Amino acid sequence: MLVDFELIKRAQNRDSAAFNEVVLAYRKRILGTITRLISRSEDVEDVAQEVFLRLYFSLDQLRTPEVFEPWLYRLTVNAAFDYLRKQRRRQEFRMSDLSEQQVLMADATAGSKVEHEEQQKKKTREAVDSLLGAVSEADRILLMLKEVEGLSLKELEKIYKVNENALKVRLFRARQRVLKAFGAAGKKEGPG
Amino acid sequence: MYSMRGNDDETLDALFRAYREACPTPEASPNFMPTLWARIESRQTFLFSFRRMANACVTAAVALSIALGVYMSIPRSSPGTNPETYIEALADANPLDTPDIVGPVRLDLTGR
Repeated sequence: MLVDFELIKRAQNRDSAAFNEVVLAYRKRILGTITRLISRSEDVEDVAQEVFLRLYFSLDQLRTPEVFEPWLYRLTVNAAFDYLRKQRRRQEFRMSDLSEQQVLMADATAGSKVEHEEQQKKKTREAVDSLLGAVSEADRILLMLKEVEGLSLKELEKIYKVNENALKVRLFRARQRVLKAFGAAGKKEGPG
Repeated sequence: MYSMRGNDDETLDALFRAYREACPTPEASPNFMPTLWARIESRQTFLFSFRRMANACVTAAVALSIALGVYMSIPRSSPGTNPETYIEALADANPLDTPDIVGPVRLDLTGR
């Protein structure tokens, strides 16, 4: 926990200063998670504010401060999911827009080592984004939380309020779909 | 770019790890908190006016229900005797000896 229970209780009682402290404590973590979940840096802050907005208006529903973190994750997941659902069409456009030509052009412009590293990172992000296009928004978020955020199944269980076996099945299926897309991408680019 | 070499699962894991490193954690802009509080206040204003409107609607509905209840509970009596059945009411309204019912049928043939 990044904050103590007392602070959360104060925030629950509509103490603005306490709420400010909670936001400041979790802001960086939430921004990082959202960045990886939605992969659109220009909208990250907007989604993060939506998370804290939802937090403010639903904080009184939190029964025990002990479950605050999974609960905040849940709000984050929901906000990211809503965002991705709204952006689905734009997202599809971006994925179809991910042409080999662009990557080559980006490579050509990458002069220095730092630029080259940045380009590599960009290519990695685009590759993963493109692969995750093979699964639904909900599964994308689940995979991200497990594989990229590194959350355990126990933590995911608390966030999703679903038993571990159901989560395992869902994760396995999502991963299989991503692997299939991954294999297809490999075949496409492999021999040539 | 990420062709299949060795185990796909391991490569995918490595790709996910690389993705984590490739996604920088953005710093919040200086306007983050002011914008957040502005959004909270705007939502609060909306909720407040919505709640007021909802309260007004509920009050109006309750008042209307009470008025309707009072209106329905007032016994309405028609002058004279109350017919007990529908047949009696019909009989009262159209007695058999009224000319409209028992009178001869008149055909108006003047139109032709």
